[in-house]
Amino acid sequence: MHARWLIPIGVGAAQAAHVAHATQYMTVEQAQRAAFPQATTFEMTRADLHASALDAPAGWSPRIWQARNGNQLLGWFFADAVIGKSEAIDYALALDANGSVIALEVLQYRESHGSEVRLAPWRKQFVGKTIRDPVALNQDIKNISGATLSCRHLTEGVQRLLKLHAHALLTAPA
Amino acid sequence: MSIVRRARPLLGTLIEIRVEGMQRNLASSAIDIAFAEIAQIHRLMSFHEPGSDLSRLHRARTGAWVSVDARTREVLAYALRVARESNGCFDPTVAAEQVASGYLPQPHSPFVPDSNASWRDIELNDDGVRLCKPLWIDLGGIAKGYAVDRAVEILLETGAPQTCVNAGGDLRIAGPRAECVHVRDASGAIAAAVELGDAAIASSTSVPAHATAAHRDGENKQPIEGGVTASVIAANCMTADALTKVVLARGAASARTLAAFGAQARVHDLRSGRDTFGVAA
Repeated sequence: MHARWLIPIGVGAAQAAHVAHATQYMTVEQAQRAAFPQATTFEMTRADLHASALDAPAGWSPRIWQARNGNQLLGWFFADAVIGKSEAIDYALALDANGSVIALEVLQYRESHGSEVRLAPWRKQFVGKTIRDPVALNQDIKNISGATLSCRHLTEGVQRLLKLHAHALLTAPA
Repeated sequence: MSIVRRARPLLGTLIEIRVEGMQRNLASSAIDIAFAEIAQIHRLMSFHEPGSDLSRLHRARTGAWVSVDARTREVLAYALRVARESNGCFDPTVAAEQVASGYLPQPHSPFVPDSNASWRDIELNDDGVRLCKPLWIDLGGIAKGYAVDRAVEILLETGAPQTCVNAGGDLRIAGPRAECVHVRDASGAIAAAVELGDAAIASSTSVPAHATAAHRDGENKQPIEGGVTASVIAANCMTADALTKVVLARGAASARTLAAFGAQARVHDLRSGRDTFGVAA
């Protein structure tokens, strides 16, 4: 176990930095291949169900595909986005032909805390003070420890897609 | 060789897994297995899912042995050890107060918890658990860390050279390279950074008095208040996760408990902007 704080002890509080953190995890195509490795085609489709019937926020427009192997329907693939107070999450939901969840993957995560300040000035206050190895701070932010993120919006988004599927897709002619 | 990063919503938060230095498809299948394990831990240790080990315990007659999964038993045993080492400050039986305040949902249980019950009333044997008084157990303060540890172990077993598993801010880094971890304060801003190698860090933030308290002092069952963030660094994430609650509640008085687990802490107070380091002995 190795641990070294990169802030001077007893030299006073460091200025906090508000940073926008964003991570791309998977592309839509990667998530489609991972969920339906045996699919030969992904055919974009539409669902005729009004957003208001699903308590969806304005502008809600998930993209929907049918995953097929030749003529056989393997399932459905949805790409959707949810926006929380301080974050936006693009995610993908894959359902098999019976509507059971095969995969739920986050495609991209972006967050902001209002006043976005670039990280660079925050880093500067450490230069020449305590950082023996400035390389450590020059990395892009990868790891953040802190207040637990709520996945409430994402959970609601998935519930909405499951309802959309049950009401508008499951009974539609394949 | 590449960097593969994936994220899924599990355990009520976003879990991110990163694997470096492994062939992409091998890394992807290893990550799938790690996510499946985390999902299984969630099912076993959920407070509200009717099929979880905890729900079965809460439905059972007081005093009756209930057989549970080895993983649930392991987490319970560790929770009891942290409770003992912290003189009951960490106590997984504060669930009754958390239900009363609305932080946790009402469980399916035939009994009302005894207000005098504590962690001392949980008994373990080789494959089971029994509650010697009517009580409810919540492993929310420790199971997330355990899930991170299990995921890291699975990834290492499958040959991942460098990996990080981050469960909504409770994370563990494994591999030869030390990495930089940024720590948020109670406002969400990044207030500190730490370099970690083969170690875990977990952070907990106390909420203002008017909000629904997420953390309670097990000894007096009172909510822990204020805009304070406690971060604990330990060899594994289960230890770090559990000890953040002790540090939040006890501050400098938690030094002995931290030392018993070889852990160290940093406490940041948003109101004063003050940092307290090395709460560990």
